[in-house]
Amino acid sequence: MSERPSLLWVDWRLSRGPLVRESIGRFLFFCLLGFALLSLLLSGGASRFLAGRYAVTAVLRADVPSAEAEGLARKAAALPPVRSAAYRDPETAWKEFLRAYPGLDSLRGAGGNPMPGYIEIRIRPDRLAAADVALVVSALRSVSQVEQVLAGEEWLPRLLRAAELALWACWGLFGVFLAGLFIVCRLQERARAVALTADFAFLTERGVPAGRLVFFRAAGAAVSGFLLAAAGTAAAGGALFASLRTFPFLERGIGPPTDLLLPRTIAAAVLFSLGAALLSAAASLLGWRAARSCRK
Amino acid sequence: MIEGFRLGVFSRGVTLWDGLDFAFGEAAAWFVTGLPSSGKTLLLSILRGERRPDAGDVVVSGESLYRGNPSLARAWRASCGYVPEQAIADARLTVGDLFRRSALAGGGVRESERMDRTDRLLEMVGLPGALKWRIAELSISERVRACLAAELLRGPKVLFCDGLVADAGVPFWEMLWGLFRALAREGNTVVLAERRIPERWALAAGDPEPVGPFRVYRLPGPAAEVKGGPG
Repeated sequence: MSERPSLLWVDWRLSRGPLVRESIGRFLFFCLLGFALLSLLLSGGASRFLAGRYAVTAVLRADVPSAEAEGLARKAAALPPVRSAAYRDPETAWKEFLRAYPGLDSLRGAGGNPMPGYIEIRIRPDRLAAADVALVVSALRSVSQVEQVLAGEEWLPRLLRAAELALWACWGLFGVFLAGLFIVCRLQERARAVALTADFAFLTERGVPAGRLVFFRAAGAAVSGFLLAAAGTAAAGGALFASLRTFPFLERGIGPPTDLLLPRTIAAAVLFSLGAALLSAAASLLGWRAARSCRK
Repeated sequence: MIEGFRLGVFSRGVTLWDGLDFAFGEAAAWFVTGLPSSGKTLLLSILRGERRPDAGDVVVSGESLYRGNPSLARAWRASCGYVPEQAIADARLTVGDLFRRSALAGGGVRESERMDRTDRLLEMVGLPGALKWRIAELSISERVRACLAAELLRGPKVLFCDGLVADAGVPFWEMLWGLFRALAREGNTVVLAERRIPERWALAAGDPEPVGPFRVYRLPGPAAEVKGGPG
């Protein structure tokens, strides 16, 4: 690191104590926001939970051979919105039925197993939308071996709408906290600019252009904002990873811990850090302006 | 050469002074005296390029400070040091903070060089080991000497001091005399504004040039001095 003093860290050089306190506070705030961001990104609101509970069932005709049904399941699994498609033969279906409704063994009389084989299709959490479900359902209905498709089409749109609203509410809450952080940062920047008024006057009196001072302060705020947000999000990611490993039931709502290392999750965290950098720079500029208007 | 041409200031609804001409040559120490409220501080801020005069202009090395390129005025301010009359504005700082701030204004003082020079400068102004002292806890004399040392850290080509000699106190006049002579010998210009000049300095400087409400003395350089230290 160069020893030459730079205006980039002018606040750090002139007011270390308050800046350290503010940075610690911002880091903790970014940890919370990062935790919320990653949880939201991975869970998609209620999407992952719903996707875990919801399945499209394609009831097959009685005369469909197992090999053909399994081939059909493989084809269904190849559809873009489908996460998995598993064939259950009539015997397995009967056992599942008995597990769900014990004491109904008498139904299997002389006529043999009354349960048909079926394919259970799970939808990917990020594709759990009415259009994608309709795509899967229409693809299955067009197959002659399928007798009936059970997809809950009567109630699914309302459920998806509720999940979408919940997701928007979560993002809204996240935005409110982000806005709160911005307001707090702006007030901190303003208070610091007021406290350092004499120092800035000293510098401008000695030929340091005020514009350069403002630019470097904002640039310094952006760099520190990016680093704090990146560190906070990384710490939050670590905490989330540990939580998901320690409490596996959380995976049902949030997702597997390995999803934290997906490129799109990392890209989102980087974008969040860049956004935090921009907000920090804006808070610095607005704080400076507010401090100047206070002095007038 | 710092020249003021037909300088005029209108303040509080009256003409404070008008049509004043100044010429401060390079590599010399200048002493401007004037009565209280005569506008000494104002004159210094005009010469430093901080406050545009209501009439006239200031020319530095042939370039107008107020009618020329603003970047030249900025470069001029960057080459100047200024020890103001002591106020409570910097009371929250420590002596070390003054040096840190001064180094920032200079933009070219390395951290290791700053630490090294800070110690030497503080010792020179009679404040050894004062780096961590709070300004609020210093006497007026100590404050002005600390400020002077901090300004010297950047090695300004021109040093403006407002009330420094009076605030520093008699025991430090000899040190200041030697310092100003040394600065002038190294090619720097020092402009001091005071209510009155110490008697021995006045004797050494000879007859002042009257300029409006001010008297301008040129302190003798080492070669011109014939009577020894005036301290």
